[in-house]
Amino acid sequence: MSAHPLFPTVTDRETHEFFEAAAEGRLVFRACNACDHALHPPTAHCPYCGGWNTAWRQSKGAGKLHSWTTVTHQIHPAFPTPYTLVVVELDDAPEVRLMGHLDGAPELVAEMPMEVWFQALPDGPTLPQWRPAA
Amino acid sequence: MLDDETAFLGRDKCAVAGIGQTAFSRDSGRSVLSLATEASLAALADAGLSVDDIDGIVRADVDTVTPYSLAAALGVNNLSYWGDTGPGGVAPCMMMGLAIGAILSGQAKTVLAFRSLNGRSEARLGGSGKNLGVETVGGLGTNDEYYLPYGLMSAGQTFALMTRRHMLDYGTTEEQLASVAIACREHANQTPHAQMQAKPLSLDDYMAARMISTPLRLFDFCLESDGACAVVITSAERARDLRKPPVLISGVAGGAPPDRRTGMMFPVVTRNDMTDLGGRRAGETLWKRAGIGPSEIDIAQLYDCFTISVILQLEAYGFCARGEGGPFAASGAIRQGGALPINTGGGHLSEGYVHGMNHIVQAVRQLRGEADMQIEGAETCLVTGGPLPVGSSVVFRKAA
Repeated sequence: MSAHPLFPTVTDRETHEFFEAAAEGRLVFRACNACDHALHPPTAHCPYCGGWNTAWRQSKGAGKLHSWTTVTHQIHPAFPTPYTLVVVELDDAPEVRLMGHLDGAPELVAEMPMEVWFQALPDGPTLPQWRPAA
Repeated sequence: MLDDETAFLGRDKCAVAGIGQTAFSRDSGRSVLSLATEASLAALADAGLSVDDIDGIVRADVDTVTPYSLAAALGVNNLSYWGDTGPGGVAPCMMMGLAIGAILSGQAKTVLAFRSLNGRSEARLGGSGKNLGVETVGGLGTNDEYYLPYGLMSAGQTFALMTRRHMLDYGTTEEQLASVAIACREHANQTPHAQMQAKPLSLDDYMAARMISTPLRLFDFCLESDGACAVVITSAERARDLRKPPVLISGVAGGAPPDRRTGMMFPVVTRNDMTDLGGRRAGETLWKRAGIGPSEIDIAQLYDCFTISVILQLEAYGFCARGEGGPFAASGAIRQGGALPINTGGGHLSEGYVHGMNHIVQAVRQLRGEADMQIEGAETCLVTGGPLPVGSSVVFRKAA
């Protein structure tokens, strides 16, 4: 990423805990305590069982690669090309898929194991990021 | 979803009586209000109506021209109904629904629907980056904070991720994507006002073009266009007495995918099944409302923001099975002379990108028999709206 990243809003009333946890090096997702569905993007209300008994859970931070694209046409100064966007499915909550950003155009294979890491943006919030598992 | 097929009161009760458009270009040199005014006056003239006949105006949520501004610019004195729908390119089909609702409930007699944009010279939807925040993004329920800070910031990148997954799941190929681009280009080559009228496109041209976001290349992307389209809708009974043969609106339906996700476009890539479109649900409802099925559709104007969106909608609306959209497109079925010619003026890929509205104008031309590349005997036409995050659709039918 460039020296001038786009910061995520970390004060949204449905999503702020995700970024607060990331700043502490933890990956969390919302889930329903009643019916056990993961809820992503997070919502306070569970659309599956109709209840409000939802809470954040901690993920082990392992996943697999679901899709990716290498961007070669630059559209924003914060993201010099080429870079690769990845969609990662969490092993402990397959209903949750998260984005990651890899520099360049790495060789990737569908369903390959991915691991989370935490990127502290300069003078800004922390993003959970993903890379091929070691 | 509608289970009772008698519940829809709108079948063939309203009609498109007039259509109009401006030139499509890379730089109109004019305001979007001026473009909307020209297209609207053309649609009224086509119908044989005057501004005094208009009492309703509907638009897309993202249009910067409001119904009231357009009414003022046109000199409409009797505006009593207006509405916005969307999101974005989903709007044009849903506008037909707003118009029907207004007309059948007595809130309006004649409704003008329009879309106007300087999509190349002023507000590039394709993502020049200028319309995004420069420091802090997302929040306020948009969910964009999960996507934009990673560099996922355009529709093209979103559809690229979907294309990759469709390739992994079903073996869809670059050649199949190319077949969509080439079919639309061939149709544009026969359409004088199409932006790509004079530019043939071969498979070699397609493959040689630069990659934008793998696996999508330049010609997988629609055009960025300046232009406007407008359509006049009134009751079928009233339309019969007007200047042009009425084109009936047989059914209208929107649909959301079964996988519940908040947010706008980007969360689609985090659905459990990102290539299962809301259009599938829209189609299930649409066919009941229109009283016909996909096998009875003669031609289709499928929302082609990208080549992959055509392939996904061929599946979603039941023209082929899930996963077979690529082979279906590559079979030639979607070309002139095929079983289901699509985007018969060139579509967004090659005619111009008026955010779905030019598809409705083209449908009406075909069913009147006045299209440049006329499909002989076309009596029914499916039009679809933008495929994310929800779908929208209309069946138009030639009046008996």
